[in-house]
Amino acid sequence: MTAPLRIQFDVDCSAAHAFTTWTSRIAAWWPPDHTVSGDPEAVIVLEPGPGGRIYERSPLGLEHDWGTITAWEPPWRLAYSWHLGRDRREATDVEIRFVSLEHGRARVEIEHRGWERLGESANRPLIPPWRAAPRTMRIVVGSAELALAWCERARLTD
Amino acid sequence: MPVEQTRGDPFEALGDPTRREILRLLSTGEKPVHEIAVALPVSRPAVSRHLRLLKDAGLVSERSEGTRRIYHLQAGGVRAVQDYLEGIWGDAAARFRMLAENTGRDEDEATVR
Repeated sequence: MTAPLRIQFDVDCSAAHAFTTWTSRIAAWWPPDHTVSGDPEAVIVLEPGPGGRIYERSPLGLEHDWGTITAWEPPWRLAYSWHLGRDRREATDVEIRFVSLEHGRARVEIEHRGWERLGESANRPLIPPWRAAPRTMRIVVGSAELALAWCERARLTD
Repeated sequence: MPVEQTRGDPFEALGDPTRREILRLLSTGEKPVHEIAVALPVSRPAVSRHLRLLKDAGLVSERSEGTRRIYHLQAGGVRAVQDYLEGIWGDAAARFRMLAENTGRDEDEATVR
């Protein structure tokens, strides 16, 4: 098992505002160079509610699926599958919790897990999707596969 | 060329498609240099150069078997990969925080989209 990636930070706003910003303004805060197309004009859309799609749409209307919302519990919790243009079966899981703190502040806890699911394809020859993706995204996707590869190796040698 | 160098940057090492392809090849098990080379559309010296860089970055290790050099993934390298992913999330988190802290707090519904 590759351990989940956990990141947390405090933000000077309410949990409700953090949840709303996260979900309705993802296009404004997600780093524009970390997209599948790498097109700075691409728009990132998060459809609110369970089952909502998260995707990227180019100016020409080409869409790249990023994932699907699996938990929608405003303003405390949000979870989505995350495959970024790859096969859905290889989706990892992202969960974000918004915790109220004193003085109107909130803590955002991000957990990114499910790396082992990439194993469905890690050892199978395929046309690496990053060949068609910009550098940054190629690194992310490639890294996730490598994380899995190491995980597999560790299991074999332990 | 020196065999040993100062420790390289794993992110730089991962930033090249040929090197990622090498790591993918090694993810199925250790392999001698020539096997890696035949699977790639680059010259043998180029493969050696990539392998050296990956080794310097702590992503692969080698062992000798007679005159052959066998390469395998280095388990500790996973930490570097996770650090990298953490960096991407950190970037996203910083941008998110700036936006959330500089937008209205009570008119959320009105400001959606």
